[in-house]
Amino acid sequence: MPVPISQMWTVATYVLRQKLKGRKQYPLTLMLEPLFRCNLACAGCGKIQYPAHILKQNLSPEECFKAVDECGAPTVAIPGGEPLMHPQIHEIVEGIVARKKYVYLCTNALLLRQKLDLFKPSKFLSFSVHMDGQREHHDFSVCREGGYDIAVDAIREAVKRGFRVTTNTTLFDGADPKSVRAFFDEMMALGVEGMMLSPGYSYDKAPDQKHFLGKARTRRLFTAALSNRKKTWRFNMSPLFLEMLMGRRNYRCTPWGMPTYNIFGWQKPCYLLQDGYAETFQELLETTKWENFGTESGNPKCSNCMVHSGYEASSVDDTFGSLRGFGATIRATFSKYRDPKALKQLDEPAGLVQLKTNDREEVHV
Amino acid sequence: MTKPDELEVAPGFEHERLEGSVWRPSNEAELREGIEKAFDYRGDITIMKKDGSTVEGYIFDRRDTLLRMIPKTGTEKVTIRYADIAGLSFTGRDTAAGKSWEAWVKKYHERKAAGEKGIALQPESLE
Repeated sequence: MPVPISQMWTVATYVLRQKLKGRKQYPLTLMLEPLFRCNLACAGCGKIQYPAHILKQNLSPEECFKAVDECGAPTVAIPGGEPLMHPQIHEIVEGIVARKKYVYLCTNALLLRQKLDLFKPSKFLSFSVHMDGQREHHDFSVCREGGYDIAVDAIREAVKRGFRVTTNTTLFDGADPKSVRAFFDEMMALGVEGMMLSPGYSYDKAPDQKHFLGKARTRRLFTAALSNRKKTWRFNMSPLFLEMLMGRRNYRCTPWGMPTYNIFGWQKPCYLLQDGYAETFQELLETTKWENFGTESGNPKCSNCMVHSGYEASSVDDTFGSLRGFGATIRATFSKYRDPKALKQLDEPAGLVQLKTNDREEVHV
Repeated sequence: MTKPDELEVAPGFEHERLEGSVWRPSNEAELREGIEKAFDYRGDITIMKKDGSTVEGYIFDRRDTLLRMIPKTGTEKVTIRYADIAGLSFTGRDTAAGKSWEAWVKKYHERKAAGEKGIALQPESLE
């Protein structure tokens, strides 16, 4: 099983409780950003473009706990910035684990090995290590040669010490599905519990870029990578969301499913867009003009988005919204997605486009 | 026009170069336009108030009649009413200007061709 039974049970009973209460907008995962500072300078990142006085600020453990309690979501992801640079990150994690929330500490793992002693293995804590592909692809994507090896070393150590470890991967345009599949093999061989995937997104405040991965190409990329699935691969995410990435189903965006809290407050409307901030979670729910966001709204900032923060909660809601959804999830969990066409696609010449020096079209996200 | 669902490649973007510019609105519509630009800006803004005082900081929120910022010299959120604003100055450095994915790709290939090892982009110093 990609997710422990106890975690699945917690999430399932939580969602069913929300359904019984008739709650239409409920959070599934709190995205808690305790700082924006990072020890990488990825060229495609839109999360760290702030003046120094903002990058120096941290949420206090108390502010983090208040947000966790206010939100009530059963899982808490801690991205950033790089959360391991927060001087009190262990206190924050400890306090959230004590609340019996499932924590995913998202890290590039550059500091993980040296900080491991600060944490205790727990079923409530997973290190979610950012890995963007095989060595050359990952290093190129995070703009740091050697980053892959440091992360792999830290993953090995964390697994050895009994920590739950998952990976989170953003796939960019030009990603080679064959290499992505080889990467899945590498990660599973390291002993990670499961893998998370998402297509890239064009953050508003990111450095300028000429173009991004379009939806049609996203679906082809994920179909090629995720069809004809190997038994050894485990994904730590909703199987229906993966089907959406493969173009097998459509969902409406539910941005309130993964609300974001950081030093500015509760981010409107979602993890990716910054249209202002609310002081409380309730204010976020009540004052955000949700109808202006999501693909259906026609908002150009949303038109190309297929990211987990908007759609994974939608797919989980679908799982527990009907017997049909539940049945589809069971089928998706065990399906291998046999697809000869997708298999053939793997034989097409590829390779991360940006790393090539021939005259192929250069497109990036 | 191609539907979003059929797009192979989605268009990118380029940010307006505002660093060093000053916005002196002559009416409310111009003020709101300037505030929107300041809200999207990736650096600090100096607000020039009608009483002659100034506040420099990062604008993280704007609402119907007010904006909110974190001053450069503090951590507390400050609220300023639109009615009190005389002008805006883009005094802080645009923290992403001059950086682009394409610039990284170019730099990477140049450094690789020169035989360099351990190629990396370093985060900027916060001091």
